[in-house]
Amino acid sequence: MGCCYSSESETAEQDGDERKPLIPHPNPDSKPPNGTERNPANISSTRTDEQALLSIINKTAQNIIDVSAADSQGMEQHEYMDKARQYSTKLAVLSSTLSQKKPPPLPSLTSQPHQVLASDLVPYSDIQQVSKVAAYAYSAISQIKVDAKEELVVQFAIP
Amino acid sequence: MEATLEQHLDDTMKNPAIVGVLCTDAQGHNLGCRGSLSDEHGGVVSVLAKQAASLTKDPTDTPTVCLESDSGTVLVRTHGTITVAMHKMVS
Repeated sequence: MGCCYSSESETAEQDGDERKPLIPHPNPDSKPPNGTERNPANISSTRTDEQALLSIINKTAQNIIDVSAADSQGMEQHEYMDKARQYSTKLAVLSSTLSQKKPPPLPSLTSQPHQVLASDLVPYSDIQQVSKVAAYAYSAISQIKVDAKEELVVQFAIP
Repeated sequence: MEATLEQHLDDTMKNPAIVGVLCTDAQGHNLGCRGSLSDEHGGVVSVLAKQAASLTKDPTDTPTVCLESDSGTVLVRTHGTITVAMHKMVS
């Protein structure tokens, strides 16, 4: 025995593995190609194969939507009417709450718009005045600067 | 610092026809106000001036917005980075 890690039991297991087919046979009833009878271990493996196939069929059936069956589940006329009434009442409630969310209207500037419209144009002197005020304000703002009264960074005297 | 602007606003209010004045920046931040115009008007004043300026193609042509009503006229005018609103009674 030149192999260091081999034992009798291991070789027996290896033999069992070798006899097990890598790909399960599609038709369990047919005889294996070598013509020998199947042992009980092989029969149990074919049963698990059947279960696996059944689970695949069930999964596929769950994923399929049968359109022809959907037609038969029609609603009665009174059910349609009930649903329509229910939805319309819900919509009415929602629309009333939506209208409350509208922004408040702008305040009315005048009760006599024709009077405002018929009044004289804004005098050009007023336009000039607001231009002057704006120009002065701009120059006043441009004069704003930080007026440092004292040093922001002070060094502590180390004796 | 802003004493010059405050003085300018006070001087503007000395005109008896002017009942309110407001100065705001481009973002609607209130820089100073007097009389009938207050903090809350800064945003709408700056937006009005911006929208009016977007109506003209000439960038150097600064429009003056006039809001006419029974209670006088509000004139909005932009100069550089600031916008001034002036509430003037009809004389």
